[in-house]
Amino acid sequence: MNEPPDDFRELERTLGAIRFEPRASLGPEIAGRVGEQPPAGGDPGRRPRFRRAALAAAAAIAAAAVVLAPGGPLRSGPERVTVDRCCYDLDGGGEADDGVLIEAERDDRVHRLRVYEDRDRSSDYSAGDLLRLDRGAELALQGHGLEGLVTIERCCLDFDGGGPSDDGLLVLGVPPDRVVMAAIYERRDSPGGGTWGAPLR
Amino acid sequence: MSTLDRRPGQAGVLPAERREELCRQWYEEHGRAIYSFLRFQLDSADEADDLTAEVFLRAVRSVERFDPARGTARSWLFRIAQNVRRDHGRRERRRRQVSLTAFRDLRADAPSPEERLLWEEEVGRLLAALAELPEGDRELVSLRYGSGLSTAEAAEVLGVREPAVRTRLWRALGRLRKVLHR
Repeated sequence: MNEPPDDFRELERTLGAIRFEPRASLGPEIAGRVGEQPPAGGDPGRRPRFRRAALAAAAAIAAAAVVLAPGGPLRSGPERVTVDRCCYDLDGGGEADDGVLIEAERDDRVHRLRVYEDRDRSSDYSAGDLLRLDRGAELALQGHGLEGLVTIERCCLDFDGGGPSDDGLLVLGVPPDRVVMAAIYERRDSPGGGTWGAPLR
Repeated sequence: MSTLDRRPGQAGVLPAERREELCRQWYEEHGRAIYSFLRFQLDSADEADDLTAEVFLRAVRSVERFDPARGTARSWLFRIAQNVRRDHGRRERRRRQVSLTAFRDLRADAPSPEERLLWEEEVGRLLAALAELPEGDRELVSLRYGSGLSTAEAAEVLGVREPAVRTRLWRALGRLRKVLHR
């Protein structure tokens, strides 16, 4: 299918006629900010006023948490870990150039899971890598059309920072480039062999 | 040869002045396309300003990792823009409606203020409909029509084959039209 169906032509013309123009001062302003230190774990593109506001809010929340915490100050919550595993074929493309970046509570709940193609061959996630899937804490199928869906599984590694290599990674996708779901699970040996009944996280 | 057409790490860690020079060059070459890609998916020019800045700052700070053997600088920058846009989407509520006053950055050759207003309304309607599509559709439509990428260039950014991009594009336009006719 090389040409658009005729009835899309008007829509295409209208979309193609939309032209946005960044303000003239944006380029020099960005170049002038190159020397700024990126905020740790933050959002490097935000203007300083937003960062200051965010820091002030974070400080206020932290102070409130200390004051209100039952049983004394500085009671810590679950430890958050980030695990980056590369490189496997997770999109069915045939090349072991995909990785998974998982933010989780150690050995527990997953908060964010990204499947990426390691475009720069750095063997870990970096800014220019291609994200195949980016999900939060909730499991869901992403995208339309599930024809040709396959499973891809990697077991067993430490995907949640728990220590032992007892986690599996389950990916559902449509080769050669779509990933529609990814989750980890803790291996549970079943009498018949393999894993059975392990909750997906 | 573009400044970007070099092996990663070839120049070692770049000094700040060199990074600033690179940033200016990249912005000059790709700034408008990146901005338009983002703007198609955002409520306002201010948000597009912020995220465009973030794209170029992320790029210039990790330039040592760019590998021209893996694709062009343009597609690398677009992938960073995709990731920045997705991160932003996680932080912000999804767009419900587009304010007509948000179009200070819309170019229009309309001869009269009335025609300019009609064009802004049309663009607002289209972008509001686009915001209701799945993320993959929004990105593809923004690459193709916002930034004017060819289907081959869009395929490189998205890491898929060109025929797949065409098929997905027609499907996305079909879904967009359905939303518009609702």
